[in-house]
Amino acid sequence: MVDRTRRNFLRKSSIGLAATLTSGLWFDMLAKGIISPPSPSLFEERFGVSREDMKKILDIALSKGGEFSELFFEYRVQNSVSMEEDIIKDSTENITLGVGIRVLKGAQTGYGYTDDLSFEKMKQTALTAAAIASGNSKFSIANLTEKSSGLKVYDLNLPMGDVKLDIKVDLVKKAYSAAQAYDKRIIKVQSSLADELQYITIANSDGLIIADARPQTRMVVIATAEEKGVSNTGFKSAGGRVGLDFFKTSETPEYTGRKASEEAISLLSAADPVAGEQPVVLGSRQSGVMIHEAVGHPLEADANWKKTSIMWDKLGTQVANPIVTIYDDPTIPFNRGSYSVDDEGTIPKKKMLIENGKLVGYLQDRLSAKLMKMELDGHGRRQTYRNNPIPRMANTVLAPGNASAEEIIRSVKKGFYAETYQGGQVSDSGKFTFSVNMGYLIEDGKITRPVKNATLIGTNVQILNEVEMIADDTAFFLGSCGKDGQSAAVTAGTPTLKIRKMTVGGRK
Amino acid sequence: MKDLNLLQLTEELVEFSLKNGASQVEVSVSQGTNFKVDILQGEIEKLTEAVSKSLGLRIFVEGKVARAGSSDFSRETLQRLIKNAISRAKLSSADSLAGLPEKEPLTVDVSGLKIYDPAILEMPPEKKIAAATKTEEICLADKRIKKTFGSTFSTNIGERYLSNSNGFSGSFKRTSCSCGVYLQAGEGSNLFDEGWYDSSVNLEGLESTETIAKKAVHRVTRLIGGRKVESQNVPVVFEPPMTAEILAFFSTCVDGNNIYLKQSFLAGKMGEKVGNEFVTIIDDGLKIGAPGTEPFDSEGVPLRKTVIVEKGILRNYLMDTYAARKLGMKSTGNSGGPNNLFLAAGQSTPEQIIKSVDKGLYLTGTIGFGQVPTTGDISRGAFGIWIEKGELTYPVSEITISGNLSQLLQGIQMVGKDLQFKNSITGPTIKVAEMTVGGK
Repeated sequence: MVDRTRRNFLRKSSIGLAATLTSGLWFDMLAKGIISPPSPSLFEERFGVSREDMKKILDIALSKGGEFSELFFEYRVQNSVSMEEDIIKDSTENITLGVGIRVLKGAQTGYGYTDDLSFEKMKQTALTAAAIASGNSKFSIANLTEKSSGLKVYDLNLPMGDVKLDIKVDLVKKAYSAAQAYDKRIIKVQSSLADELQYITIANSDGLIIADARPQTRMVVIATAEEKGVSNTGFKSAGGRVGLDFFKTSETPEYTGRKASEEAISLLSAADPVAGEQPVVLGSRQSGVMIHEAVGHPLEADANWKKTSIMWDKLGTQVANPIVTIYDDPTIPFNRGSYSVDDEGTIPKKKMLIENGKLVGYLQDRLSAKLMKMELDGHGRRQTYRNNPIPRMANTVLAPGNASAEEIIRSVKKGFYAETYQGGQVSDSGKFTFSVNMGYLIEDGKITRPVKNATLIGTNVQILNEVEMIADDTAFFLGSCGKDGQSAAVTAGTPTLKIRKMTVGGRK
Repeated sequence: MKDLNLLQLTEELVEFSLKNGASQVEVSVSQGTNFKVDILQGEIEKLTEAVSKSLGLRIFVEGKVARAGSSDFSRETLQRLIKNAISRAKLSSADSLAGLPEKEPLTVDVSGLKIYDPAILEMPPEKKIAAATKTEEICLADKRIKKTFGSTFSTNIGERYLSNSNGFSGSFKRTSCSCGVYLQAGEGSNLFDEGWYDSSVNLEGLESTETIAKKAVHRVTRLIGGRKVESQNVPVVFEPPMTAEILAFFSTCVDGNNIYLKQSFLAGKMGEKVGNEFVTIIDDGLKIGAPGTEPFDSEGVPLRKTVIVEKGILRNYLMDTYAARKLGMKSTGNSGGPNNLFLAAGQSTPEQIIKSVDKGLYLTGTIGFGQVPTTGDISRGAFGIWIEKGELTYPVSEITISGNLSQLLQGIQMVGKDLQFKNSITGPTIKVAEMTVGGK
C-alpha cells in the first residue's frame, strides 16, 4: 500500500538477477535471424498464437463495450552467475512467459493475465478484462498492421545470452579478484553477472502489431572492508542494453571490482555527517537520483491527471531556476533505461520536461495522454505481463551548465559533498529524500573528510529553485525504479551541481 | 484435482532430474489467484483478476548448485531447464555445505494453523468493490481531505507445492485479503500523503471500512501544517508501524547469509548483549492465523518458534539450511525470510509512553533508505508529532532521524503493550532514549 504514493530509486536492486547458460532454442532463433530484427512471428512460431487468434482475442476483449483492447505477449530469459567466498556459488536461468490483456473504457482499466497461451485460456482472460465495461461491443478491430521501430538502442553484436558460461565465469572471477586484491582490509567480496533478453509482442484494437527484443546486462560487485573491528560495505554496478563488448571496451570487470572496494575502504575512515541545513554539492557520478526523485516522478502524467502531484497545475510556469533544463530520453544508445518500443507499442522520443526553468511537459502513457489530451511520447512501461503499463522514466537527464566542478566546490565555505548513494524516495506531495552512502565535508572550498550514511531531505518545488550552479561533467547513475509495486530499469544523468541550502541528516 | 496435479508435477520433475544426473533436487510450484480493485473518486479505476503460477528448481550435482525458474509449464521447457541446470552446475565450484535440508517430519496440522479462509473465495466481486468504494467515500466526506490516491480491496489465494529428492513432498494453501486508502491533505505546497490499510488471513479479521477510513483520515490530517524543528538530540517514540520498520532492518542484520558474509554488525555477536532487558525479539512461524504462518519454508523445513533476542542477549539468527551449515547451527525455517517476527510486548500503554517524554519526537512516518546492515547506521527522512511536556503538540516534517541500530536496541526505555499480528513483521510502541533529529 505504501507503494501507492511512494516512488523510489534503488541502486542495489537488479534486473531480476536471476543466471547463465543460454536457452538453446531462443538463441538459435536469434542466430538464424528469425527474431532479429524483432518480429511478432516468435509467438506464432514458438507458441502457436496466430495473428488471426490475436485479432479474435482483441475482439472478445471489447465484447462488453470497452473502447480499447491490447495484448502484451512476453517471453523473457534471464541468466545469472555469482561468486562469493572464492567459489562460483550459484547460477540461474529463469523463463517468463505469458500474456497480459488490457481493456480501457474512459479512465477505467480492466486487466487480466495468464501464463497459458492456449486460445481457451486467453479467451477467458480477455473476458475477465472485458468486465470493466458493461454493454455491447461498439468497436470492431481493423486488420493488424505490423510496425517497426527503427531505433538502434541495443548492442546486439555479441549478446550475453549467446556467451558461453565459462566466459561469464571468467568475467565474474576477474571482478572478484580485482576487488579482493585492492586492499588487504577487504574481507569479503561478492560478484555477479546477470543478463536477460526480453522478447515482447504488442497487438491492440487500433490495428497495431509491433515487437521488440531487449537485452539487459548488469555486473554487480559488493565488497566489505574491516579494520579494528569496524566494517563497511561498498558497491558498484555496470551494464546496460549491451553485450560482451561492453566489458572489453567500456567498463572492465576489474574496474567495477576496484570501485566497490575503493568505496568500502574510504568508508572505513568516514565520520558521521553534521545534522542541519547547509549548502550541498551533488557530485556528477551518481547524483542523478536527485533529478529522478525531485523532477522525474512528479512529472509522470498519472499523478498529474489525478492531480495528486505537486506539479499538476504548473504546466507552462517557471518551476526552477532558469539554469535548469531537464529531459527524459529512452533512445540513448545502449543505456540501461533505453528501449526502442515502449510497453504499449509506442516508439519513444526524447521528452523535454523543464526548459530553462519552465515546466513544459509530462511523461505520458496511453491512458494519461488520452485523458490529458496530450501526445504520446513512449513512456508507458510495465515490469512484466502481469502488470498494467504506467508512465515511467527511462533515462532522465539534467542538461549541463557552464560552471566547472572545481568552481562549484570552491564556492562553498562549509557544506556537504554527496558522492555515492543507496537510493532515493519521493511522495506525490513533493517531499523527497536521497540516501547518501558516502560523501565528504567541504571546508573552505575544499573537499576534506569522508562522511557516511547521510539522508538529504527537501521538497522539490523548493530545491529546484535553489539549484545555484551546474557543471558540464555529466555522468549516469544505473538503478531500478519502484512505483506501484513495479520495478523498471532506469538511469539518471547529471553534472556536478550545487544546491544553496538543504537539510542534511546526521549526528549532533 | 488441480492440487494433486501440481504436486505430481513437482514429484515427476524430481524423478526426471535424478535420472539425468542430479545428485539432489528440489522442485516447487506457487500458484496465485488474485483479485484487486482500485477505486478513484468513486469510480472503478482498475480491476485486475488473474490466476498465475511459477515453478522453481534447485539442482545439486556433487555439491555444485544451479537454479532455474519458469512460468512456462510446457514439459519441453521444464525438461530443458533441468538439463541446462545440470550442465551449468558442473561449471560451479563444489561446496561441501551445499545441499538439501535433512529430512525432518512435518508434525504440524495445517488446518490448525488457520491460514485458509473459504469465505474469501466466496466473497462476490461486487462486495469487494463496494467495500473499497465505501472506504474512500467516508474519507472524502472529511473537508480536510484535499485529494485521494484512491482505495483498494484485494484478495489472494496462494497455493504452494514442494518436493525434493530427500523424500519431502508437501503442499498447502493460504488466503489473504486487504483493504486500504491513501489520501492527501495540507495547504499550498506543504502537502502530505498518508493513508491506512489493513490485511488479514481471514475475512472476519479485516478491520471495517469505517475503521480503515477513520485511521487514514487521522494519519494524514495530523500532519497538516508540519514544519521543521532545530537539529537536536531527543528521545524518540516509535508508533507501532515505525517499530516494525526498525524490526525489518533488524531482520536483515540477523539474516544468516549476511552474518556469514560479515555484512552485518551482529556477525560474531552470538550470546552477547545486543540490547537492553526490554528487548526480546521472536520469530514465530506457527502463530495461529498470523500473516507469516505456514507449515514449511521454501526448502521444506518445518516452521517453528525461534527466540532471536532474549532480554537483550542474541540467541539465534534467521537461517536457511545453507547459512545454518556455514555458521555451524540449525536451520530456523527462514529460507523465505522472517515468518512472524516481533518485538515482545511490554507493560506500558502508548499514552504512558508519550507522557514520559519531556521533549521529543513521536515518529509516525519515514521516507528514504539509509539503513546499513554492516554498520547498523540509520538515517532517514521523518514525519511525526513533536512532544512537549508529555503532550503531543504540533506536527513536524522534512526532518531526518539518525542513529545506530546497536545503540537503539541498547537505548529502548519503554515498550508498549499494543502489539498486534497484522503484518509478518510487527512491534508495539517503543521509546528510544536518544536519536539525532536533523532540521534547521
